[in-house]
Amino acid sequence: MNTTERNLLIGGLIIALIIGVLSPFIASTQPDGLEASANHLNPSALINPGYWHAPFDNYQVHQLGDGYLSGIVALVIGVFIALGFVYVVVEILKRKNRTNN
Amino acid sequence: MHIPDGFIPLWQCAIYWTIAIIFLIFAFRWGRKNLSEKNIPLFAVLAAGIFAIMSMNIPVPFGSSGHMVGAAMVAIIFMSPWAAVIVIALVLMVQGIFFGDGGITTMGANILNMGVAGGFVGYYVWKGLYRPYMGKDGILKGLGVLGKRKWWAIGIASWIAIFYAACQAAIEMWLAGTFPLGLGLFYMGGYHAMIGVFEAIITVIVISTIEKVRPDLLAWNRLPRANADDIVPEPSEPREVASK
Repeated sequence: MNTTERNLLIGGLIIALIIGVLSPFIASTQPDGLEASANHLNPSALINPGYWHAPFDNYQVHQLGDGYLSGIVALVIGVFIALGFVYVVVEILKRKNRTNN
Repeated sequence: MHIPDGFIPLWQCAIYWTIAIIFLIFAFRWGRKNLSEKNIPLFAVLAAGIFAIMSMNIPVPFGSSGHMVGAAMVAIIFMSPWAAVIVIALVLMVQGIFFGDGGITTMGANILNMGVAGGFVGYYVWKGLYRPYMGKDGILKGLGVLGKRKWWAIGIASWIAIFYAACQAAIEMWLAGTFPLGLGLFYMGGYHAMIGVFEAIITVIVISTIEKVRPDLLAWNRLPRANADDIVPEPSEPREVASK
C-alpha cells in the first residue's frame, strides 16, 4: 500500500470513528422505519425469538452498562471490525485474482 | 430497515439466503476481476463509514427515524452494483453477528433488500438518468459529468434505491404474513420516502467530497473521454454556433 492509499485509509477511519463517537449523543431514539411500521401493524413481531445473542447487542458493551461510554466503545469496536473484515475479504479476492492470472 | 429474526418464517429465510448467496458469488467474481490495490482501502473505509453512519438514526416526522444505507453510493462510486453487494453484505454480517442489528436468519433478506436492491436500483437509476452523457461504449460524450445534472442524478437514484428497498421489504413482510400488503407498503414506503431524503443528501455530500479530494477514486473519472469535438453541452447551457 502506498502513502496515498494509507492516508486515505487513515483519513476515512478517523471520519468513521468521529461519527461512531458522536452517534450515541446525537442519534434519535425513535424507532427506525421498520420498527415504526411494526409498531403500527404487528407489534408482536418485535419479540426477539432469541436465535442468536450478539456480543454487543443493541450497540452496547454490556459490561460497561448502557450509558454513552458503552455505546461509544461498541461503535469504535464495530468500526474496526467492519474495516478489518472488509479489508481482509477484499484482499483475499484480489490475491485470488492475482493467483488466477 | 434491518429485518430482525422472527419477522420472516425460517423456510422463507432459507429462500432469501439462497438467492443472496447466488448474488454474493457473482459479486465476489466481479471483485476478483476488478479489485485492485487502489480499491481496497476505499472499500474498507466505505464499509467502516457505512457501519458508523448506519448507527446514527436521524429523526423523521411521525415518530420514526432512519439511517443511511449507502448501497447506491458504493455502486455509483465504483460504477458497479456488485461493489455495493459486497460492501453492504459484509457490513450487514458484522452488524448481525456482533451487534444484533438485523437477524441471522433474516440476513439473506437484508442483503437482498439493502445490498442487492439498493445497489442495483441505485446504480441503474443513476445510469438511466445519466445516459445522455454516456455512450454505449462507456465513453463519456458530454459535459454533464461536470454539471449539476450529475448531482441530481445521484440524489434521485439514492432516494429511489432506499424507497424501493423498503417496498421490497414490505412485500417480504406480506409474504411472511407479518404485515398486510397495502398498509405495509404505506408505512414502509412512507417512512422510507422521508428517510430517503437524508440518504440522497448524504450520498451527494460524500461523493462530491470524494470528487474534490480524490477524484481518481471515482470510477467515472477513469473512463475514456470523447474528443472535445464530440462533446455535447448540457441542455441548460447555450450551444455555441460554429461560425466560419
